[in-house]
Amino acid sequence: MTAAGEPRRDVSTDPVRRTLVRPYMLTRGRTSSSLGVFELHAPVLALISPDQLGRNATPEDRRIVELCQTPTSVAELSARLGAPVGVARVLVGDLVVARMVHVRQSEHQAEHRDVRLLERLLEGIRAL
Amino acid sequence: MPSDFVPPMTGTVLGPNGATSAATGLPVSMKIVVAGGYAVGKTTFVGTISEIEPLMTEADITVESLGIDYAGESSSKTGTTVAMDFGRLTLGADMVLYLFGTPGQDRFLFLWDELVRGAVGGIVLVDTRRIEDCFAAVDYFEHLGIPFVVAVNLFNGVYRHHPREVREALSVPANVPVVLCDARNRLHVKETLVLLVEGALRRAQMASAI
Repeated sequence: MTAAGEPRRDVSTDPVRRTLVRPYMLTRGRTSSSLGVFELHAPVLALISPDQLGRNATPEDRRIVELCQTPTSVAELSARLGAPVGVARVLVGDLVVARMVHVRQSEHQAEHRDVRLLERLLEGIRAL
Repeated sequence: MPSDFVPPMTGTVLGPNGATSAATGLPVSMKIVVAGGYAVGKTTFVGTISEIEPLMTEADITVESLGIDYAGESSSKTGTTVAMDFGRLTLGADMVLYLFGTPGQDRFLFLWDELVRGAVGGIVLVDTRRIEDCFAAVDYFEHLGIPFVVAVNLFNGVYRHHPREVREALSVPANVPVVLCDARNRLHVKETLVLLVEGALRRAQMASAI
């Protein structure tokens, strides 16, 4: 039984662990984004390609833009960066401000209680 | 990076200048929370159906005094890190479902708000050898009025208590399904998710009919 099996970190792409940088060094000590709190499952999509990034882009920004060429959630970015969710939120917030990514926030829309979306969700799970 | 520039928060999509757009290429993202006691099979449940190997991440949380005494240590502001794991399911072209496993220890229960906010509902996994481990999760979902399903995990294909006995032990309302579920069995996991979403849908339909 692997009930207690530890999920794995994506070590190969884990700049935080690799460089032993304190996580909030990456955010210059900031623990929240000026854009508020992004939901864990909020998808993030890049508005630019990685080669459009400036030469002084940080490895983390580059990694986020690379991952977000397809929609990728805040939680997933956090796991892939090997950084706490709070760090991922601040970095994503900066990239939103810099017009490099955008984020879908569903909280205010109460999408989790929307009949039509729940019908689609049910259909989707049944079709698995 | 222009860190002093604060765009207005005007809509669901935060893009350049907080612009809102329907054609953003961003999928609808849904979330289901998988709860239960330590080592009850949450990661297994998530991993059985996830299209990616479950990932683990951490959230740093500052806990202000909650007026509730958890393990006698809530009187002051404390910082703590809570680990969660999750999997992903792509459902069609424009919908994604995330399954989030809760931290294993009940004393972190009040940290779930982050996980539970915006969730369609919850699955409470039960190991009948340690049935009391799931009480906290059941209380929590009931208290917040979040749809949930109790899933009795079958270890090695056997169960020691009938779902009816589990229902009695937990005294959950009749509208909360109690099912047997081998967390390693994809069909079981899928059917458990279907039950949960059916319940959430019924509730949403009733709410919108008022």
